[in-house]
Amino acid sequence: MADARSISVLVVDDQFSMRSLVRNGLQQVGFVDIREAGDGEDALRALIARPVQLVVSDYNMPKLDGLGLLRAIRSHPPLAKTAFIMLTGRADRELVQKAVQFGVNNYVVKPFTVATLKDRIEAVFGRLS
Amino acid sequence: MDPLAAIKVTFFQECEEQLAELESGLLVMQDGAHDDEMINALFRAVHSIKGGAGTFGLEALVRFAHVFETVLDEMRSGKLPVDGNVVAIMLRAADMLADHVRAARDDGTADEERSRAIAGELANLCGISADGPDEVVEEIEGLDFVPVAFAFDDTPPPAPEPEPEIAMPAAAAEPEGPPRETWTITFKPRAALYASGNETAFLLRELQRLGDMDVTVSAAALPLLQDLDPEEGYLVWTVSLVTAAEETAIREVFEFVDGDCDIEVKSARADASGALDVHALIAMATAAGAPAEAREPSPAPMPAAATAPEPDNSDLMEIIKFIDDAKAAVAAEEKGEIAPSLPAADMAAPAAKAAVGQSAAAAQGGAGGAPQAGQTIRVDLERVDRLIDLVGELVINQAMLAQRVAECGLARSSSVAIGLDDLEHLTREIQDSVMAIRAQPVKSVFQRMPRLVREVAAMVGKQVRLVTEGEGTEVDKTVIERLTDPITHMIRNAIDHGLEKTEDRVARGKPAEGTVRLAALHRSGRIVIEVSDDGAGINRERVKNSAISKGLIPANADLSDEEIDNLIFMPGFSTAATVSDISGRGVGMDVVKRSIQALGGRITIASEPGRGSTFTLSLPLTLAVLDGMVVSVCGQTLVAPLTGVVETLQPKASDVRSLGPNGTVIQIRETYLPLIDVGVQLGYRDTPLLPTSGVALLVEGEGGARAALLVDTIQGQRQVVIKSLEANYRKVPGIAGATILGDGRVALILDVDSVLSAKVTEPPRNQTLLAAAG
Repeated sequence: MADARSISVLVVDDQFSMRSLVRNGLQQVGFVDIREAGDGEDALRALIARPVQLVVSDYNMPKLDGLGLLRAIRSHPPLAKTAFIMLTGRADRELVQKAVQFGVNNYVVKPFTVATLKDRIEAVFGRLS
Repeated sequence: MDPLAAIKVTFFQECEEQLAELESGLLVMQDGAHDDEMINALFRAVHSIKGGAGTFGLEALVRFAHVFETVLDEMRSGKLPVDGNVVAIMLRAADMLADHVRAARDDGTADEERSRAIAGELANLCGISADGPDEVVEEIEGLDFVPVAFAFDDTPPPAPEPEPEIAMPAAAAEPEGPPRETWTITFKPRAALYASGNETAFLLRELQRLGDMDVTVSAAALPLLQDLDPEEGYLVWTVSLVTAAEETAIREVFEFVDGDCDIEVKSARADASGALDVHALIAMATAAGAPAEAREPSPAPMPAAATAPEPDNSDLMEIIKFIDDAKAAVAAEEKGEIAPSLPAADMAAPAAKAAVGQSAAAAQGGAGGAPQAGQTIRVDLERVDRLIDLVGELVINQAMLAQRVAECGLARSSSVAIGLDDLEHLTREIQDSVMAIRAQPVKSVFQRMPRLVREVAAMVGKQVRLVTEGEGTEVDKTVIERLTDPITHMIRNAIDHGLEKTEDRVARGKPAEGTVRLAALHRSGRIVIEVSDDGAGINRERVKNSAISKGLIPANADLSDEEIDNLIFMPGFSTAATVSDISGRGVGMDVVKRSIQALGGRITIASEPGRGSTFTLSLPLTLAVLDGMVVSVCGQTLVAPLTGVVETLQPKASDVRSLGPNGTVIQIRETYLPLIDVGVQLGYRDTPLLPTSGVALLVEGEGGARAALLVDTIQGQRQVVIKSLEANYRKVPGIAGATILGDGRVALILDVDSVLSAKVTEPPRNQTLLAAAG
């Protein structure tokens, strides 16, 4: 069992409202250490300054998109073992397939419920307490 | 507020931003320019709206956005060519999307019939279904996905080491001698360098003597030939130098041109040993001069946590390269050109660099010039207003303190007085800065106008082009909010009345397409907004006849062109021969004028037959402070807004004439103006002051009507902080608000227009006015 409180998360989305929604969901699941970034480049900058254990990222963002961010994380050894969950649309099959090749841990289809978000995180970290 | 409701509010705010971006992007496309990055941005805007809408269960919005998004996706993948027709449909769709967003925000419903029709048009563009997505799904259909579990230990991730050890391959390969290092030198000569006869090639040759180097030159700053100043320096050289020499040796090469160029010498070691600056990495990775090492790309590592953490010895270039690769691979795959394998991605890197360069250029080109998301914060307006209020108090307090000190008889040169001067200076600066928080670009108003122009033009069957200038001009938020209606009305008028019918334009040898120009600029502490058209200009004959037939002016009135033009601001005036849908709504230019005056502004008109008309609004930048003339009336201190005061004078007995029991006029040069005793008008006294013992303020009010206000004395001019009387007490006729003066006393601010109109509505009004106009 993993303690949600001890897992640090970085939420990456170019929409403030979407980041707030994900943060809200994560808080309901029990996460405390939640940070945010507005695009892939911002996220990378934040991660290099201070790594986290879980990244929940949108795909479609300006500058560096979700796939680019995933690849950059996986290829930078200090960050490579960060869990990565991608937020996708219902039709983004090819995107998820690519993300799998780049080492995505799980995906969440938007719009999502808190229960789904929890379920997807637990599939990666085991049951959350 | 519950957190979701608050997020929803933010979502709708973001929607407005996305809609604005969508519209401005489409308008640029309409002019024939488009690139992948722009289409991508449009897609992202609609995609984001749809995403959020789905979360909040806004079904109608999701349905429409889905179709729109699908079409933009087709455009993005190049399956749908961009042409005028497509863009026109998309502009309509953007308007419809905006309607859906606003309907959802206000818990209403958008025009479903129109929505279906436009969704149908969109769908027809690429033969898709106009239906939205079905039910909410949790998993993507037909995807064989197994979540990758993480071996999770509870230890927090390691913080980055302050000084990670760097393995320098170049240094390791060097068998003996001082270690060789890689330096990046950025060299940008200025005009002075060339002017003093220096030659960049010699400098670079000198540099080459120090080691192995790789030079790239960037011509990115090179302007178009027509803008090129042949003596200016536009080129930037980036040198990658591997040398055993010290930094001083490198700098020595440029010693003689020091000051005539921008030079930056950076060691890869210094870069890497400091904190990893991703920005620099990405910038370097995307710069033309970044050395591309032939490196075997590692396969995408699976996130198996089985292996022990590797020491943090990654070198810079690897990260740069991977960020680059990441962008390249994704870009290449999206184009469908290259299979998603890493080696292939390497080949695509140059293309990606070019694409990135383009987007960077687009960003710099400043389509919107909007600040980056990371650099702005959203603050509740109430908090800002509270701050403004407090700063207002501070200004008052500071003024009171200054007055007390002055009363103590301290010398101007005393340290207390000097300290107070500094305090005053600082207080003003704080006030300006706080006001600047409320300032917003007029863009938010301007960007609503293209749609208005499209709709009005379609309704009256004219071809209209809207040109906007100075969208970035900033003005107080309250002023902006209250500008929308007047500007909307003036633009409607410009299209409906100002511009001629297309066939008339062509007959007169004008372009079929009429131009309406909307511009904003700052001029001497005020914001000026101009609405102009290249139409027929004001038909003065018709305006005059109309005014006579409505009894607004006597039939024999002899009016100058300017006076005739100003007749359109008179209440109840309308020249439209046929009452149209657009302007025949009972709102005339008089309402526009009143709302502008309510903001402390003025409106003027300039018209030239056959060439068009220009309406110019001049407004204060803020409604919170006001430059006023402080006067005394019956022992009361009053403030007259300086904007309305044209001049002040001491009435001479010979200039003052009586007109019946209540009326007095004063002759000022060739003109007679009503002389209004402010004390009587406001009920401070019953018997008018003897004009010669007071001071007259010549003021200009509504309709350009002028009058002289008689007060006892003038105390001086100062900036005052406006406090609303309505909010704290109630509306008082003749009074616009209140303020607190330096001595702590409350002073009322005169509402010049209402004092004037209260007076001039009394009989012999028309004669007085005409006398004034003459």
